Amino acid sequence: MTSVVIAGYARSPFHLANKGDLARVRPDDLAAQVIRGLLEKTGVNPAEIEDIILGCAFPEGEQGLNVARLIGLLADLPLSVGGMTVNRFCGSSMSAIHIAMGQIQIGAGDAFICAGLEAMTRVPMGGYNPLPNPELARINPGAYMGMGETAENVAEKYQITRADQEAFAVDSQQKAAAARSSGKLSDEIVPITTKTGTVTEDGTIRGDTTAEVLATLKPAFSADGSVTAGTSSPLTDGASAVLVTSEEFATKHGLKILARIKSVGVSGCEPSTMGLGPIGASKKALERAGIAAGDLDVVEINEAFASQAIACIRDLGLKDETINIDGGAIAIGHPLGATGARIVGKAAALLEREGGRYALATQCIGGGQGIATVLERA
Amino acid sequence: MGDTIETGAIRKVCVIGAGVMGAGIAAQVANSGTPVLLLDIVPDGATDRDAVAKGAVAKLLKTDPAPFMSKRAAKLVETGNIEDHLDRVGECDWIIEAVVERLDVKQALYTRLEELKRPGTAVSSNTSTIPLGKLVEGRGDQFRRDFLITHFFNPPRYMRLIEIVRGEATDPALAQRVEDFADRFLGKRIVPAKDTPGFIANRIGTYWLAVAINAAMDQGLTIEEADQIGGRPMGVPKTGIFGLIDLVGVDLMPLLSKSLSSTLPQGDPYFDTLRPMPLVDRMIADGYTGRKGKGGFYTFDKATRTKRALDLSNGQYRDTIKPASLPRAADKDLAALVSAPGKVGAYAWEILGKVLPYAAMLVGEAADDVVAIDDAMKLGYNWKFGPFELIDKLGAGALAKRLADEGRPVPPILATAGDRPFYRIEGGRRQYLDASGEYRDVVRAQGVLLLEDVKRAGEPVMRNGSAALWDVGDGVATLEFTGKMNALDEDVARLIVQAIPVVKARFKALVVYNEGTNFSVGANLGLAMFAVNIAAWSEIDKLVSAGQQAFKALKYAPFPVVGAPAGMALGGGCEILLHADAIQAHAETYMGLVECGVGLVPGWGGNGEMLDRLVKSPAMPKGPMPAVAKAFELISTAQVSKSAAQAKEMSFLRPADGITMNRDRLLADAKQKALAMVDGYTAPEKPVFRLPGESARVGIAGAVADYRKKGIATPYDEVVSGRLANVLTGGDTDIVDPVTEDQLLVLERKAFMASVKDARTQARVEHMLDTGKPLRN
Repeated sequence: MTSVVIAGYARSPFHLANKGDLARVRPDDLAAQVIRGLLEKTGVNPAEIEDIILGCAFPEGEQGLNVARLIGLLADLPLSVGGMTVNRFCGSSMSAIHIAMGQIQIGAGDAFICAGLEAMTRVPMGGYNPLPNPELARINPGAYMGMGETAENVAEKYQITRADQEAFAVDSQQKAAAARSSGKLSDEIVPITTKTGTVTEDGTIRGDTTAEVLATLKPAFSADGSVTAGTSSPLTDGASAVLVTSEEFATKHGLKILARIKSVGVSGCEPSTMGLGPIGASKKALERAGIAAGDLDVVEINEAFASQAIACIRDLGLKDETINIDGGAIAIGHPLGATGARIVGKAAALLEREGGRYALATQCIGGGQGIATVLERA
Repeated sequence: MGDTIETGAIRKVCVIGAGVMGAGIAAQVANSGTPVLLLDIVPDGATDRDAVAKGAVAKLLKTDPAPFMSKRAAKLVETGNIEDHLDRVGECDWIIEAVVERLDVKQALYTRLEELKRPGTAVSSNTSTIPLGKLVEGRGDQFRRDFLITHFFNPPRYMRLIEIVRGEATDPALAQRVEDFADRFLGKRIVPAKDTPGFIANRIGTYWLAVAINAAMDQGLTIEEADQIGGRPMGVPKTGIFGLIDLVGVDLMPLLSKSLSSTLPQGDPYFDTLRPMPLVDRMIADGYTGRKGKGGFYTFDKATRTKRALDLSNGQYRDTIKPASLPRAADKDLAALVSAPGKVGAYAWEILGKVLPYAAMLVGEAADDVVAIDDAMKLGYNWKFGPFELIDKLGAGALAKRLADEGRPVPPILATAGDRPFYRIEGGRRQYLDASGEYRDVVRAQGVLLLEDVKRAGEPVMRNGSAALWDVGDGVATLEFTGKMNALDEDVARLIVQAIPVVKARFKALVVYNEGTNFSVGANLGLAMFAVNIAAWSEIDKLVSAGQQAFKALKYAPFPVVGAPAGMALGGGCEILLHADAIQAHAETYMGLVECGVGLVPGWGGNGEMLDRLVKSPAMPKGPMPAVAKAFELISTAQVSKSAAQAKEMSFLRPADGITMNRDRLLADAKQKALAMVDGYTAPEKPVFRLPGESARVGIAGAVADYRKKGIATPYDEVVSGRLANVLTGGDTDIVDPVTEDQLLVLERKAFMASVKDARTQARVEHMLDTGKPLRN
């Protein structure tokens, strides 16, 4: 089959929803700037792009209609470049990459921009018009369950203590802070122009947090629970994009190949413990790649919550030193639709930077599923 | 905001000095919608030269009760410093000086202002002690013409008093402009004061507190006893005397005392109150400066959750001791209070026998007339009655006689009064006794219309036990609630229905208004509980139905209806307003549908009216849920606005509804608003709703369940909010079916009746009636 590669990765700075520096930036403007940044960085000829596939978890309001197409127009891409918005909640932009890979392999194009977007300030989680199916809500309450509650369920099921979650969160914050201060994040960040200035750095990272500080927080979702705001990913505004091409196209056009996509997988799970989604999906992808967890040198596992990330790491037997080397979503943030492209792009970039052969990017998805991508160093 | 001011208007204000008063004044200017420049010094070695003024604004935003009425107001305050930005006073039409209370500092500032400001721009000082004559020493004629004293009270947003001192050289037209602005835009009642130390309110107030503390110590009273006798029976706020000192700050006492004793004329009775106060000195030194410090005369022990009181005899804190009840007569009748046997009468007389003559002595010296003094104490110290109104309760003659019997001087105005009262009603007008012994009409500021005056002058058009209809002139009728606490009941509903044909026949418009402290805190819960206890369900259902019908009759009446609230408008009090064509609200309006707090749901049409407002609000996202979700959030959590401006943000007020800053002008403004709607008036169309039904309820229930898991909502909150959600989502409707207003009323009534029959609601209501606090069951 045609070999498909990640030939570029960029993202906006991530900022806390409602109070961060991107709260007043329209999501379509945000994503358009990131896509322009990706094009400049990779040097790909925009006219060669087949399609923009953009993931968004709540595609309504300012990120509604077919926002992928509108972003293409805003980014001043040639009219010939298409646009498609896809939704798999938190897995949306990783799905965008998988779709692009499939399109390339059926001969439906050579180069795709796979982007992700979520302005959680401007379109609330759950959307403006949540209207659950009453019957489904009765027979399967997990289908509409709040994410925090599912995180509590996972903590309970896997007996993950609050102290373990807090240690994990502190580690994530420290890794992210260290990466930022050593300039390791600036490569991937596209400065965003806003009405009040240019935003160049993440506004989410709390490198000075400690386990003692986190221990003082009240449970965020259940009065007698163990999950707090400090061990959850924050509501975040952000956008991300990767350039997905056939290996042949990349080589021919002199693009810098970060990694080859080795295999992918999605897998459903029990909605009320949706945080366990990466387990099934990663197992599928690893098997399809013909490798074992022990073969992985880089793992980007989304930290929707510390409890679910720890549960998946333990269950899959992932090596600690491979996990979220520059910090995870607890520190950097989790703009739902944008996270998939970020962690695939990041995993590819880390393979390139750190060396090693295989990488895994995986994440849980509300409603009960997981998604995973295995990369191989090119 | 209020009426517009003619030419020479004040469009921008500069406040110099960002201390507690200056910053608070700046906030109130901003509350009026007027931009304000707030300047203070550049701190030593500062990197940010505006740090002091900026810090003051940051502090304002955290202060409770809030100095700002809305977030928008806070944005109208621009900060700066007097070294770099003083020349910007040229942009301003009024400069308010509120710097440290030192003559040299003020004079140095005025020297600079004299060069920088435009001629004709008013400059006023917020000094509370320094005479005007001293302040303008060395200034030129123009500056003197432009100068006056404007003495605000703390907190400037909430205290309605402003004492204004005009100098001999002050330009009357300029002073009038400042007074108009203070009145209409800042909502203050102007009390003209003479250029004497402490002006009126602080001079009497400081003396009063000193006398009361001394007497409590001398007579061996506990502070609880002192607050009992010197509090409510005299019309003093419920804090009493020691509680009030804790509120304003124990450390303020020696400061006021120092400043007054350095400026008061020799022989002033205030000097007799001065004595060493080792107890107070020690409290201040130890940080017991009142509520802002570790505690004051009263403290609250957080560990045991008990209130403790200072024992004046040994300076130790102990548990509070509830004093024995006052003799019945003494509680109600001031004359009986001062003549009560034992310590009650002795303490009461020690206070009133000194403070009232002191106030009387100040007629002519600190103020022109008794009205100014009474207004100053009522608005500046929250006394329910002014000193001369208190004298009238004792009898001027009786007071003079007792003073004379005790060999104490009788102030001239008391002698002039003889046995006559200081206030009387003559030909429907309230009159006061002037210094020459003549009665004169109490004159309201121009354009002020008070129902109190209308009522004094005549009879209502109609009335029953709970409401009345008044003719307020120009073809406008006013509906007043008259029950206890302005509670709403069946009689109010009945009078509304009866009034509609009368208003239609004899008037052009109706204003719903009253002059209670609170517009209405809703239905009479006590009465409702009585009906519940005898299980008079059909009676309760009838009452709910009658309220719904009356409010809808008001809404669809063939004439404009304007609601004019001030203070709290809660529950049914909010619902009646939601049915008006328009609202003209006092700036201090606290509005909300709070029924869920006592386990009920709004039952008088409030749900539909709130939905209708939100559906039509341009700020709402599209789709079937946003308006429903917002209404649910506002009602289920019993949210109450902290100002009229905020009520607008919350959609209780519509964008075109008006806000009046001065309480005294509310009725006149509401009347104007109603009259402006008369030409071509047609009653509103009945709304038809598209509601999302059960799907939406599933979403709402999920959100509420999350709140319960977090420990924010109680189990019964979940039940009540489920009933509320059923109303707001349209019950069993499908999203394609229209829901009429009448269908919504039926749903609302069912939800109300289900709640009122629930023992958990009854427990909440009883708890609220007993304790005034919500029960979290």
